[in-house]
Amino acid sequence: MQPITLNINGEQHEVSVRPHWSLAYVIREKIGLTGTKTGCEMGTCGSCTVLLDGKPYFSCLRMAIDSSSYAITTIEGLDADGKLHPLQQAFIEDHGMQCGFCTPGMIIAAKALLDENPAPAEQEIREAIGGHLCRCGTYMRIVKSIQKGARLARGN
Amino acid sequence: MGAETTVVGKSLPLIDAREKVTGRLKYAGDLPPLHRMHYAKVLRSPYAHARIVNIDTSKAEALPGVSAVLTHKDDITGRKKTCNTPWVDPSFNFRGPMISQEVCYVGDEVAVVSAVDEDTAKQALRLIEVEYEELPAVFDLEQSMLAGAPKVRPWGPNALEPSLFRWGDVDAGFREADHIIENRITLGNQQHAPLDRNACIADWDGDKLSIWTSTQALFWIRDAVTDFFELSPNKVRVHSTPTGGSFGLWWGNNFMFLAIAVARKAKRPVRLVLTRDEVQTTVKRRERPLIDARIGIKADGTMVAQSYRHIMDNGAYGNKFDPYQSVADIYTTPHGKAEFIGVATNLLPAGCMRGVGDLTLAYAIEQTVDMAAEKINMDPVEFRLKNHWRPGDICHTSQEVLFAKLLFNREPEVALTSSGLEECIRKGAEKFGWKEKWKGWGKPSSVDGNKVRGVGLGISTHISGLAFFGFNGITIKVNPDGTMVLTTGIGRMGQGGDTTQAMVAAEVLGVELGDVNVVDGDSEVCGHTMVTFGSNGMHMVARATKAAAEDARRQILEFAAQRLEANPEDLDIRDKRIFVKGSPEVGVTLKDLMSSPIYQYLSPPEVIGRASKGVEFDKAGKMMICDYAEVEIDRRTAQLRVVKFVAYHDSGTIVNPAVCENQVAGGYCQSLGMATTEHLVFDEESGAILNPNFMDYKILGPLDMPDPEIYFEQVYDEDGPFGAKGIGEGVTCAVPVAISNAVYNAIGVRLHPPITPDKIMRALKQNPR
Repeated sequence: MQPITLNINGEQHEVSVRPHWSLAYVIREKIGLTGTKTGCEMGTCGSCTVLLDGKPYFSCLRMAIDSSSYAITTIEGLDADGKLHPLQQAFIEDHGMQCGFCTPGMIIAAKALLDENPAPAEQEIREAIGGHLCRCGTYMRIVKSIQKGARLARGN
Repeated sequence: MGAETTVVGKSLPLIDAREKVTGRLKYAGDLPPLHRMHYAKVLRSPYAHARIVNIDTSKAEALPGVSAVLTHKDDITGRKKTCNTPWVDPSFNFRGPMISQEVCYVGDEVAVVSAVDEDTAKQALRLIEVEYEELPAVFDLEQSMLAGAPKVRPWGPNALEPSLFRWGDVDAGFREADHIIENRITLGNQQHAPLDRNACIADWDGDKLSIWTSTQALFWIRDAVTDFFELSPNKVRVHSTPTGGSFGLWWGNNFMFLAIAVARKAKRPVRLVLTRDEVQTTVKRRERPLIDARIGIKADGTMVAQSYRHIMDNGAYGNKFDPYQSVADIYTTPHGKAEFIGVATNLLPAGCMRGVGDLTLAYAIEQTVDMAAEKINMDPVEFRLKNHWRPGDICHTSQEVLFAKLLFNREPEVALTSSGLEECIRKGAEKFGWKEKWKGWGKPSSVDGNKVRGVGLGISTHISGLAFFGFNGITIKVNPDGTMVLTTGIGRMGQGGDTTQAMVAAEVLGVELGDVNVVDGDSEVCGHTMVTFGSNGMHMVARATKAAAEDARRQILEFAAQRLEANPEDLDIRDKRIFVKGSPEVGVTLKDLMSSPIYQYLSPPEVIGRASKGVEFDKAGKMMICDYAEVEIDRRTAQLRVVKFVAYHDSGTIVNPAVCENQVAGGYCQSLGMATTEHLVFDEESGAILNPNFMDYKILGPLDMPDPEIYFEQVYDEDGPFGAKGIGEGVTCAVPVAISNAVYNAIGVRLHPPITPDKIMRALKQNPR
């Protein structure tokens, strides 16, 4: 076991990890932030996406032990001040979800997109979530929700 | 038509949407650990059929941190077939014996270990030494049916007793026909492949068991557990959590029995979460059908006879013998026959997946119907308009008929309640632009260099629950401020059932959706509700929800009548206020009524509405489906892409349009996957699944298809709550065949799903044009 400190959503978490534990595993099982979902554990579904210094990564493919130097953002970080992120508000209003399992990963990926590109075209949105699966097949309304979230974030 | 509504018909947000977008919604794998909880891992068979000659667990047991190792020697095998209804028999879709000495497919359970953490449990699995004696296995459906075929499993025959439906005189019908079209089809093995993974926590307190598991089958799991472990229902408490997708995977399996049995041996709470590989290869898959279809038509295109023989691959433990929901009735013919045979193979168990039976059989029917229309050179839209069934027509192949025969030796007549099928076909053709695109049989709708396009359609139907699904027990408790709590056993798999049931209650009680909390998923609290399957939520379960709301409303009006010195019949509720119909100024708010003491009790009133209800035996509410597809094939690369897709569906009144659009879009996405990319590949030698992950089993993503165009023909169904019928499963049923029919018209060759580029390439060589 190796003691490390993870900076998640602005809080420091001291945990002991084994070298082979993924960041997703530690976030969920050792820190208890289960909003980060693990569907495939091999980088093919996108459910476990988190931000490392603002960039989206599949946390199932990253080792926890290598993640100390980053500012990590999980879905729980988006409404940490008690106020929903515009993307979260838009997903609620426009039904950008069915079962909700892919939703945290989709919203995190969309946040990374909007932080770089506040007014993305539809194709840019689809490419930004291109590595994410929604087995309920909700893409149509996920894309609409991200478009609306972008509008809300821009204040119109 | 129904009266004006204030809640029903609006795209109100899901009541659990906030939990979903913040990541706070707990699926079973997200639940916090219990005190002293251990973690389970499963050792699985590498052989399709084998007997365990010897199993040595001593090294695993000696590993520090291991609390229990469970093998066939623990004899957890439950009782066999003790229930008098096949629906709660654990061997129906569930399997019978578990962790037995004979393993019957690659992935069958050999041992379960519980340990202090997952790493230790995995390490212990490697220390278990097993000696197998391989037994003959059979993977092919037809070979499994032969006399002398290897016996797939220690109990029961390989081929189950056929289920047979007949009407008219089918031989005479075919003699009358001018043309007879015969067609044999088979399809790929689709996997439900939800993103979430099956999970269960089991905790024994003496002889009392609690489990937390992801399922849409709260009471079925409860009943199966009580039956299998020989417990009284008052010793078992099941907590069902929402599931991250399901499509049928989260009922009709009993992986949770492994957690229950190992927890009992370890004397600790134990959690079992399946890996992605295990979800794909050890729980369940869609049945692979082998269907012989035969259709007889007159020269003018009138269908006179139809006959279907549907053989279904049940895999090692599936026990399905009745896949027909009713699609064999989608064309009304005086003569017909539908036969179904469930057959076991030494492959991953198969069972219900979204649209079961109606998807596979609709594929066979709708392709054969196209061949029939081609035979007489008739437009396929016209052919369907001429022959499709109508409201009041008899449902010859309804499951009701089969189960009534099996259980009560009676043969009821079941009639279709309502149908917008004709409008779906007609209006769908207009929205799609059928007339402009249709260029004749086997002809592309357009050609642009190497790119050829073709169009096709398919119709189908699906149930909205069935009478033999039984009762749904619902309660509605009104709080002192007029808000309320609805308890229901409905499953939450992403279909929004909790939201739409609450909408029905809110509509009846004149309150807003936000005033209704929903409590679900606790077998000690909720009324017995059937598994959420067979698209039963919005039609069948909602009939009970509406009745419970009406019961609460009656009680409220009686209390209000005392208060207002009026007759209850003269009162109405709207916008959380009860008033006299003739003089709306005389009234009382729901909050005032429910929080003020009444004279006789010196206390405020207590209102609990309740109902236990299902659907009527002789009426079948079915959703109607017509899908149109245009595909484009690149003749150089054999790539297929969808250009346009129009879904025109009748699910009666649409209670929440956004929820329903998501259902249709999702059905299209999944079924397009089945039509083009999704197929579990079994190794021909070993029977092992070669693509147990999302890398090799391709689910469609956001860049893989255009959005569908979705339309609803809202035919008011007199038997449905506010005129509603079911929706969730039927949305998948006509997609694969619409795609397949379109491919035929593009390239002139009939291909079966999965229609992959290699098949298209071979077809293009065979028919270069």
